[in-house]
Amino acid sequence: MHNRRNFLKLSAGAAIGGMAAALPSTSLAKECQAIKWDESHDVIIVGSGFAGLSAALNTKRQGIKSVLVLEKMQVIGGNSAINGGWLAIPKNPIQLAQGIEDDSPEELVKDQIISGRGMQNEAALRQIANRALDAYELCIGTGVKFRDSFNIQVGGHNKARAIRTQHGTGGDITTKLYEAGVREGVEYRLQHYIEDFIMDGQEIVGVKVRKNYHFPDITTGSTIYIKANKAVILANGGFARNMKLREVVDPSLDPTLDCTNALGATGEVTLTAMAHGALPVHMNLIQTGHWGSPDEGGFGWSNALLSIGWHQGAAISVLNGKRFMDERADRKTCSEAIMKNRYPDNSPAYPIVLFNYEKYKDDDRVVRALRDKMAWKLDSLDEIASKFNIPAAELKRTINEYNGHVSARKDPLFNRKMDTAEVLTGPFVVSRIWPKVHYCMGGLKTDLAARVIDGRSMSPIKKLYAIGEVTGGIHGEARLSSTSCLECLAMGIVVSETIKSDAQA
Amino acid sequence: MNKFIVTLLLGLALSSGVYAGELVKMKGKTQGRTNHEFIYQDGCQGCHQGSGKKNATDSACVECHGEINSIPVDESMLAIPEAHPHKSLHYNQGASCLACHGEHEKKAPVCAECHRTWFGEM
Ligand SMILES: Cc1cc2nc3c(=O)[nH]c(=O)nc-3n(C[C@H](O)[C@H](O)[C@H](O)COP(=O)(O)OP(=O)(O)OC[C@H]3O[C@@H](n4cnc5c(N)ncnc54)[C@H](O)[C@@H]3O)c2cc1C
Repeated sequence: MHNRRNFLKLSAGAAIGGMAAALPSTSLAKECQAIKWDESHDVIIVGSGFAGLSAALNTKRQGIKSVLVLEKMQVIGGNSAINGGWLAIPKNPIQLAQGIEDDSPEELVKDQIISGRGMQNEAALRQIANRALDAYELCIGTGVKFRDSFNIQVGGHNKARAIRTQHGTGGDITTKLYEAGVREGVEYRLQHYIEDFIMDGQEIVGVKVRKNYHFPDITTGSTIYIKANKAVILANGGFARNMKLREVVDPSLDPTLDCTNALGATGEVTLTAMAHGALPVHMNLIQTGHWGSPDEGGFGWSNALLSIGWHQGAAISVLNGKRFMDERADRKTCSEAIMKNRYPDNSPAYPIVLFNYEKYKDDDRVVRALRDKMAWKLDSLDEIASKFNIPAAELKRTINEYNGHVSARKDPLFNRKMDTAEVLTGPFVVSRIWPKVHYCMGGLKTDLAARVIDGRSMSPIKKLYAIGEVTGGIHGEARLSSTSCLECLAMGIVVSETIKSDAQA
Repeated sequence: MNKFIVTLLLGLALSSGVYAGELVKMKGKTQGRTNHEFIYQDGCQGCHQGSGKKNATDSACVECHGEINSIPVDESMLAIPEAHPHKSLHYNQGASCLACHGEHEKKAPVCAECHRTWFGEM
C-alpha cells in the first residue's frame, strides 16, 4: 500500500533525524522528500480551543496566507467550549468602573507566585498578564459579550478582576473566535487527528494526520500528510482524560476519579512531541476539584451548589452517618478525606452534603441542581438515610451533635470555621460528592516566545510552537482560577508575533 | 429542499406509528433511518467515500438539510430554552452533524456528556 510505503520511509527518516548532527544534511533532505505531501499550508494549528482559535485568528491577522486548524473531535472548542467563562483581566473596564484602580498586571503575577509555590515561571506569567488587555480586546472585537457590571474576586486573587461571559461558558468566546476566523479566511477541519510529526532533524516539516477520524477509534479514517511551510502550533490542551498517563505521573490520582474535561483531553500530541525530543516539565502537577458530583458529567453544577453546602451545611459519610472532614479546608485536604470513603471492595462510597432547603430554594444553584437531578430535595433525615443507605440512628445523632456545634460556633471534631454554619432542620437539599481531575499544570517546556524546547539540546525545535494547557512549567503547583482562559488568548497573540518574526529571520 | 424535508417529516410523523428518523433494518444487517430509504437505493457512496471505515462527513447531511443553524428544532420540546442543540451556546455552527446524530445506531448527543438529563438518544 502506498501510504504504508511512505510511512516506512518516514520512520527511517525519523530515526536518522535523531542523529542529524552526525550526518550530511543532504541525505536527510532526501529521505524527507520521499514523503508525498497531500497538501501544504503556511501554519498548521493542532486543536481548536482558546489557544488554537486565538493563534489562528492572530496569525492570519499577521498577514500569513494559509492557516489551517486541525481538530480531532466532531465539535470545535475542546475544554474551552465547555469552560466556565471566567476571565481574569487586570484593569478591565468593568473593574475600573467599580472604582478599583489599584490593580495591575503585576498584582495578578503576585497572586500567581503565591499559588505557584515557587514552581511557577514568573517571566511567562508577567508576559501573559501584560497582554491581558489585548486578550480582552480580541474578545470584544470578535463580538464576545461579558456580563454587565460583573467583575468579582475569585479564589486566590487579591483583587476583583474576574469578568464572566454572558452565558457563563467559554463557548461564548470560542464560537465568536471561530466565526471571526471563518470570516477572515482561517480553514478549520473537524475529525482530523494528529498522529505523528514529520521531522527533519531538529525541525518540524509537517504532520501525519488521520482524516475523517471518528473519536475514539484510532482505526477510523485515512492517513494524509500535510506540510507546514512556516509553523506547527500545538494547542492540543491538557491530558486529564488520559487515565493511564495521569496515574503514571501522579499515582494518587485514583482511577475512580472522574474528570471535568472534554473527552478529547487525552494528550497524545504532547507524548508525540516528547518522542521527538520536546522537554516535558511538571507532568505530575495535576489539579483536582473536591467539589465534583458523581451524578453529572464534566464540571457541572456541583461546585456552585457546594459553595452553599461547604459553608451552611455538612458533609456526611454514607458508611457510618458521621462527618469526616473540615468542609472548608483546601482542595487537597478535602479530596484526600473524601476518597477514604470506600466500600470493602474499594469502590467509592460517595459521601453526601446536605443543607437547608427553604432559605435557598430560589437560588439559581439549587434550582438548577434539583432540575438536573444531581441533588434532591428530601424532607427528613429518615428519607435521607433510606435514599443513600445510611444508618438512620447514627445520621440523626450526627446532625444533632453538629447542630450543637453550630450554636456554639465551634467544631471540636474538625476545627472547621463555623461562622457561616446553619442549624440543619430540613427539608434538605442533598447531593453526593467525589473529586474530579480538572487541570494539567504540566506539559511541554517552551521559551517565552512559545517555541518548544528540545530537551537534548535545550534549544527550540525549529518551526514548532506550543501554547495553552499543553505547555508546562508556567503556573507551578496550582493554577489560579480564571487564568487559563487569559493565558490561552494572550499566548495566541504572542505566538503569532513570534512566527512572523521567525519566518522573516 | 429543506422545507420539503420538514413537510415530509411532519407527514410521516402524523401518518404512521414509525416516525421519520426511526432506526430499522435497511440493507443486509445494516440499520438505517426510515427517512433515508431513498439514499440506500443508491448504495453507500452517497455518504461514505470509499470503504465503511472511511467515515461520512457532514456534506451529505448539509446537502439536503441545510447548515446547522438553519435546521428547525421544536423549541417546545427543550428542557430549557438555552438547550437548543442547533444553536448551542458551546458550539453553535462549530459542530458536526455527526456529533449528535448516528445514521446506523442510536447515539447520545455530545451535550449528554455533561448535561446527562437534558438530552435522550438521537
Ligand atoms: C469544565 C471546565 C471549566 C473551566 N472553567 C474555567 C474558567 O472559567 N476560566 C479559566 O480560565 N479556565 C477554566 N478552565 C480551564 C480552561 O478551560 C482550559 O485550561 C482551557 O480551555 C485550555 O485551552 P486549550 O486551548 O489549551 O485546550 P482545549 O480547549 O482543551 O483545546 C484543545 C483541543 O485540541 C484537540 N486535540 C487534542 N489532541 C488532538 C489531536 N491528536 N489531533 C487534533 N486535535 C487534538 C482537542 O480535541 C481540543 O479540542 C476550565 C476547564 C474545564 C474543563
